[in-house]
Amino acid sequence: MISTKMFSSVTFLYLACTVLYFNFLAFRSERLGKIATGLSWITLLIHTAAILWRWVESYQLGMGHAPLSNMYESLVFFSWCIALLYLLWERKMKSRIIGSFAMPFAFLFIAYASLAPGVSDRIDPLIPALQSNWLHAHVITCFLSYASFALSCAVSVMYLIKNKKKEQGGKETGWISLFPPLDSLDALVYKTIAVGFPLLTIGIVTGAAWANYAWGSYWSWDPKETWSLITWFVYALFLHARLAREWRGKRTALLSVIGFAAVVFTYFGVNYVLAGLHSYA
Amino acid sequence: MGQSPTPVFLPGYPLSKKEEKGVFSSLGDSLSSLKLTIALLIILAVASIFGTVIPQNASPEEYLRFYKFSTYKILKILGFLDMYHAGWFVFLLALLSLNLVVCSWRRLRVTRKFFSLPGERLEDEQWQALPLRGKFLQQGLAADILPRFQEVLSRLFTRPKLVEDSKQAYLLFAEKEKPSRIGVYCIHLSVLVILAGALIGSFLGFRGNVNIEEGQAADQVILRNGQQVRFPGFSVQLEKFSVSFYSTGAPKEFKSILTITEKGRKILTEPILVNHPLTYKGITFYQSSYGVAGVAEAILAVKDRQSGKEVAVAAQMGSRTEIQGSSSFFLLDRFLPDLQGMGPALQVIFSEPNRPQQKFWVFQNHPGLADRRAGRYRLTIKKIEPRYYSGLQVTKDPGVGVVWAGCLIMMAGFYMTFFMSHRRIWVRLTEKEGGTLVAIAGSSHRDRTGFEEEFKKIDQALREARRAQEENKERGGQP
Repeated sequence: MISTKMFSSVTFLYLACTVLYFNFLAFRSERLGKIATGLSWITLLIHTAAILWRWVESYQLGMGHAPLSNMYESLVFFSWCIALLYLLWERKMKSRIIGSFAMPFAFLFIAYASLAPGVSDRIDPLIPALQSNWLHAHVITCFLSYASFALSCAVSVMYLIKNKKKEQGGKETGWISLFPPLDSLDALVYKTIAVGFPLLTIGIVTGAAWANYAWGSYWSWDPKETWSLITWFVYALFLHARLAREWRGKRTALLSVIGFAAVVFTYFGVNYVLAGLHSYA
Repeated sequence: MGQSPTPVFLPGYPLSKKEEKGVFSSLGDSLSSLKLTIALLIILAVASIFGTVIPQNASPEEYLRFYKFSTYKILKILGFLDMYHAGWFVFLLALLSLNLVVCSWRRLRVTRKFFSLPGERLEDEQWQALPLRGKFLQQGLAADILPRFQEVLSRLFTRPKLVEDSKQAYLLFAEKEKPSRIGVYCIHLSVLVILAGALIGSFLGFRGNVNIEEGQAADQVILRNGQQVRFPGFSVQLEKFSVSFYSTGAPKEFKSILTITEKGRKILTEPILVNHPLTYKGITFYQSSYGVAGVAEAILAVKDRQSGKEVAVAAQMGSRTEIQGSSSFFLLDRFLPDLQGMGPALQVIFSEPNRPQQKFWVFQNHPGLADRRAGRYRLTIKKIEPRYYSGLQVTKDPGVGVVWAGCLIMMAGFYMTFFMSHRRIWVRLTEKEGGTLVAIAGSSHRDRTGFEEEFKKIDQALREARRAQEENKERGGQP
C-alpha cells in the first residue's frame, strides 16, 4: 500500500526533524532552526496526505472508514497530533526551543507503528462494535489530549533538566542556557495540561456515550476505562495541587511526567498487559 | 508632553495577592480538606490500578487458577473481586463528594463577593495592592477626557461603567469574563451530578440478558442477580436474526429484527444492530450475542441404494418427512450445532417397511459416517438453515440523562475555568490644576502574562487618546 510506504518515509523525516532541532539547540544556529521548522511542516503535510490517502485506500478496498480503527492507525494519528500541536505552539510562541523535546515523541510513536512486530499495518474492515460515528469524536479528542500531555511531558523534562543544573549550583552552559526560563517552562507545563485535560474529559465522555450505544452501559470499569480515569485523576491532582495548593516547579513537573506515564499505560499497557473489551487500540 | 510618569508595572508580583489571600484565609480551615482531596485522588487512582490488575467478577474457578485459596479468600473478603461496587470503594467516592461539597462551599463564600460586591469602588489601599497600575497627567478637563476613555475601553476591552460621577472626579470600571470565577464550581457540581446519575441508575435501573429464538417472544428479563423483571405491558418478539461476515472471516453485522407487541397489538418492528439499540418505554434492547437454537429447515440428500438415484428433500425438525414413491419416512429428532467436535449433526429416526426403526446421527461435515447403516436409503446433509437465537442485553437506566447533563456542565465548567479569565480595569480621573490626573489599574483572575500585555495596550491607547485630543487642539479645531 502506498500510504504505508508514505508513513515509513514520514518516520525517517521525523527523525531528521528531531536531529535538526537538536542541532539547532547545540549550535544555536537560527538557520538550522528555520530549516527544522520548514522540514517539520513539510513532514506534517506529507503525513496528512498519507492519512488521507489511507482513507482513500480503504474505500478502494471496499471498506471506506476513517484510518482511526486499529493500533497502527492510532499510532500514526497520535504522532500526527503531537507534530501538529507542537508546530502550532511554535508558531504562536515564536520559539522552537521545545522542538528538540517534542519532535522525538512524534518520531517515536510513528516509528513504533512502522517497526513493532505486533502492529499490523493492514487495513481491516470495521467490526460491528466500531461501526459508529462516535469513533471519530472519541479517537480524535483522546489523541489530541494525549498529544498535549506528551508536549507537557516534554516541557516537564526540560524543566527538570534545567532545574537540576540550577540545584547543582553550576552555571548554565551550552544548550541548557538556551532553554526558556524556569518560570516560562513551568507555565507551559500548566498550559498544555489545561488544554489536554478538557480534551481527555471529552474523550472519556464520548467513549462513555459510545459504550452506552454499543455495550448498553456508559461505564463498565473496563481496564481501558479505568486507566483513562486513573490518568484523569493524576491530572486532576496536578490541577488541584497547582491551582489550589500553589505547587510549582519540580513537583508539578514530576506530576506531569507521571501523568504521561499513565497516558502511555492507558494506551499500550492496557492492550498488552490487561484484557478487556477495548482491544482494538 | 513627556512629563507624565511612566506607568508602574510591578515585575514578578505573586498573583494578585489581595484577592487570592482572601480566598486562602477562608480556605485556611479547609486546607486539611484539600489535602484530603489530594489523598483521595491518590487512593482512588491506586485502588483502581488494583481493580484493573485483579480480574473483576470472574468465577471462583478462574480465580483459583491464578491465586492460592487463601489469597482468593482474602481478596474476596476485602472486596477486591468486585472492587468498584465494594463498600469501601463506594465510601471513598462518597467521601470525595462530601469533600467536594465542603471545599466548594467554603470557597463559594469568597467568590460570592465578586458578585454581591463587584469591587467597582476601591479603597486607596486596595488600589495600591493591584498588580497592574499606571498613572499619568492629562491636559484638559476630566469631563472632556471621559468620553474618549469610554470609547477606548469599549473598543479595546469592554464597555465601562461609570461608577463615580462628581464634577471633578470620575471612576470607570470595566470587567470581562466574570463566569471564569464560577467555572470551578461548575466542574465540582458536575462531578456530583454524574455520581448522582450513576446512583439513580444503580437504584432505579437494571441490566439483564435474554435469549430469544427466532419466532419467539419474551416479556421478561433475568437480571444478573437472578431476579426476574417483566417488561411493563409489552413483549418483544424476534422476527429474524442474521449475521454476515467479511471475506476475512471477521463479523460484519449482527442484526435482530424485533417486534414490540402491547396487549396483542403490534406497536413497531425495528432492526437492532450493535451500536443501534432500540428503546421502548425506558427499556433499551442491545444486540449482544447470538447462537444457533435449532434448525429452521434442513435439506437432505436421500440416495436410493437400489436405483442409485438421489433426491433432495427439505425437512423440518420433529415432523414426518415422507420419501416419495415409497412408504418410508424419516423424522429429524435432534440437532446439535457441534456434536463432540465433529460439527453440526442431526439425529434422524428412520422408518422403512419390514425393518426396525433406526435412530442415528448424520454429520454435516462427515457425510460418510451415516453410510454404515444397513437399509435402502442413505442420508447426507446438504444444508442446514439454522434457526438462530439472539442474545439481547436489556437495560433500564433512568440516570443516563442526568449523567449526560453532568458531562455538559463539566464541559461548560472547563471552558470557564481554562479559557476565560475574569479581568477588571479601573480608570480614575481626578481634575487638578493644570490638567487631569489619570490613574489606571487592573487585575486578572488568570493568565497574568496575557493580561499584562492587554493592560499595556489599553494604557498606551489611553495616553494616545489624549495625544489625539491635543493634536486636535493644536490644529486649532475646537472639539
